[in-house]
Amino acid sequence: MNRLVLGILGVVAALVIAIGAVFILIIARDGDEEEGAEPQRTEEAEEPRQAGELRLSGADPITLDPALATDAASAAYIVEIFGGLVTLDRDLNLVPDLAAEIPTRENGGVVDNPDGTVTYTFHLRPDALFHDRRPVIADDVKYSLERAVDPRTGSVVAETYLRDIEGARDMARGRADEISGIEVVDDLTLSITIDSPNAVFLYKLTYPTAFVVDQRQVESNPRNWTRKPYGTGPYKMKEWRLGQRITLEANEDYHLGAPQVKTVRFLLAGGSILTMYENDDIDVAGVSVDDIERILDPSDPLNLEYVSGDELAIDYIGLNVNVPPFDDPKVRQAFAHAIDREKIAEVILKGVIPVADGLVPAGVPGYQGPSHALEFDPEKARQLLAESTYEGPENMPTITLAESGGGATVGPTSEAIIEMWRENLGVEVEMQQAEAATFFSDIDQGRYQMFHLGWIMDYPDPENVVDLLFYSTSRQNNSRYSNPEVDALLEQARGELDQQRRFELYSQAEQIIIDDTPWIPLFFSRSHDLVKPYVKGYIFPPIVIPRLRYASVEQ
Amino acid sequence: MQGILTYTLRRLLWAPLILLAVTFIAFSITRYGPGDPISVISGQFRDPEAFERVRAEKGLDKPVVQQYGIYLKNVFLEGDLGESISIYRGVPVWEIIWPRLLVSVQMGLIALIIAFALGIPVGIYAALRQGTWVDPFSISTFLLFQSIPALVAVPFLVLIFALKLDWLPVGGWDGPTVELAGQKIALGILSKSIVIPALALSLPAVAGIARLTRATTLAVLGEDYVRAARAKGLSEFTVVSRHVARNALLPLVTVIGLSLVTLLEGAFFTETILGIPGIGRLAFQAVTSRDYDVILALVLMLGVAFILANILIDIAYTFIDPRIRYERREAT
Repeated sequence: MNRLVLGILGVVAALVIAIGAVFILIIARDGDEEEGAEPQRTEEAEEPRQAGELRLSGADPITLDPALATDAASAAYIVEIFGGLVTLDRDLNLVPDLAAEIPTRENGGVVDNPDGTVTYTFHLRPDALFHDRRPVIADDVKYSLERAVDPRTGSVVAETYLRDIEGARDMARGRADEISGIEVVDDLTLSITIDSPNAVFLYKLTYPTAFVVDQRQVESNPRNWTRKPYGTGPYKMKEWRLGQRITLEANEDYHLGAPQVKTVRFLLAGGSILTMYENDDIDVAGVSVDDIERILDPSDPLNLEYVSGDELAIDYIGLNVNVPPFDDPKVRQAFAHAIDREKIAEVILKGVIPVADGLVPAGVPGYQGPSHALEFDPEKARQLLAESTYEGPENMPTITLAESGGGATVGPTSEAIIEMWRENLGVEVEMQQAEAATFFSDIDQGRYQMFHLGWIMDYPDPENVVDLLFYSTSRQNNSRYSNPEVDALLEQARGELDQQRRFELYSQAEQIIIDDTPWIPLFFSRSHDLVKPYVKGYIFPPIVIPRLRYASVEQ
Repeated sequence: MQGILTYTLRRLLWAPLILLAVTFIAFSITRYGPGDPISVISGQFRDPEAFERVRAEKGLDKPVVQQYGIYLKNVFLEGDLGESISIYRGVPVWEIIWPRLLVSVQMGLIALIIAFALGIPVGIYAALRQGTWVDPFSISTFLLFQSIPALVAVPFLVLIFALKLDWLPVGGWDGPTVELAGQKIALGILSKSIVIPALALSLPAVAGIARLTRATTLAVLGEDYVRAARAKGLSEFTVVSRHVARNALLPLVTVIGLSLVTLLEGAFFTETILGIPGIGRLAFQAVTSRDYDVILALVLMLGVAFILANILIDIAYTFIDPRIRYERREAT
């Protein structure tokens, strides 16, 4: 018996020694390599950068199925691999993708029917191919849109984007097997009929939900096709190793011109992005506000590689207008006037994040927001609070500001805001943190008095904020705001064909909403990135659009 | 030998019941807790009607008891652990867990080996120096490591070895890759990325092993045969290595199982902080994104691992200690 045990122990001991020895050897070897001033490299980067290759850090996509994607991380890959009828160019203009041209009333592509519906006719490009070189035909478009809406696909966004199409809602509810408003005229012609005139309908088609997938591929491999999907986009999926890397390869047959960068590798493993950038493991790196001071210092070598760009997103505090004390507009205004956002931007956000002067992020092409924002005015704030039904800070119910977080520390911005309310209004506000899943479901159910949240625009039109988030019966109206005057303006804007007039209506509605203050807008979003000097044309668009095909890498 | 067989069989018969209880508790917690995977993947698209439809499509609108029944049927009768919803939508759970498990196993193995390789000599040494300052000092040093939670230890190790000394990577998981069952697995044990996690996981486990070794060594040191060996004039080294260690180390087999607990506990934080794609980080991800099937599969897997480890240890006992005979228990 003892011999057996001794044997086992012997094997264990041998294993310890063997692994220990290998271990020491490896460490010693790695150490030697380092003496040659060779910077530490990750496994991915051990192969030297190939000519024309771009290395980026990325997040793992939840899905590469365009019908299902809802998050920016997934969308960033999907817009490169897939395409739809129309897309946005780098200046956020609507441009044709699979369609040969944008249908308009002038070119006869948009026809107003007598019953109030509107029919869009799309002529497809004859040279558009899937990645397996099969030409795209009108049936593919119809299949893709219907698949997105089909309840069996399980998309939570399809209806948001495609609901305007006649019959789409019936199909989403399982009452129809196809979308009645989509008609295949011939192989290269497709007509889509929507319920009523809608100026943003084409914008909605630029979102992944409306992208075209390869029916044959999806149906032959319904469970796994997204691992190497055939889209129509500028890049093809070469390899996706879950959690490790995604490699995209240029689509040489791309109908809008083959991209210049032939291989794009996304490292998904995470880690310190800035360190990886400094070690030349990646060519582009996002910079957090914590690192920004160092980068902005002109004496830092990285300063020359710094790029920033505005994003169409807003950070705000939502006030539930149905719950005391925010059921009184004067209280809401008082809370807004008591926050010195300029100071927070300067001190906490290091002066690199723009203060939100309205609800619609600056940078929507052609849109001029209202002029009057709720400026910092502690005097006025106190006065408004005294005039409110609560007659001052003493009669306030307990107020809690909710935010998403782990509960360990409050975000510095929230902390500063609470301090400003205490100082300028004499109101004590408590902080509550919930992890994201709980936080969102509690907002849905109207459980919070006030919540710190953000909104990322899906397409560059004020409708995506002013109508979607504040129309009284909109499902996305998380502050429960309701104002008949605003509703009337929004309804009018939906049917308005004149772009300038339409934007004016949104601007008017936005002003009323700002004054009613269901939201306290805080900051707009700005990206901060470093780009290696040999990378040219790498853009930082305000929303997720196909961007890689504009880039090139010099050797 | 037959006794062991029936004993093992009896233990194995209990296993499904234990797993049933474990999955039921885990299942209830996921279904009754706030939030669900559909709500998580929706991000800023808050469309309650669409949520309901997708929930119905995934069978999440059925009564919880019925959902549990379906789950059990899929797992135990069809071997289908389900698919991810909010981590990799539609990807089979096993395909997500398998490569991560292989990463965690590499870490656990190295940590276990380090823990024993450090714990045993420290324990024996402390026992031999009983009564001097060396004994309490050596043991309490490792007790200190045991008391430092991974949440503190990992950033500390990163600060020293990665940021200050720049010897080791800040995090991540590298190494040469091998293809295993269709998955490419990075052999982190052959790279520097193993060092910090292995240290963070093994150091807290050393104290337990060292203390047990010390206790058993002390017991053995008082035995007659040790005195006899000394009387024969054998060198101290021979006495310790041949006569003391051989007998003192046997009970250590039992703590391998316990060490496993410590390791798994640590892996949760260590992997999350260091960004290592193992099951600890996956568990964290699965819980925060409410990926029901992934959470349940991990719970189930750990349950199976613990049951198997315990049975194996019990069996190992009979080999190690002839006094333990499982058939005797049956006879009474």
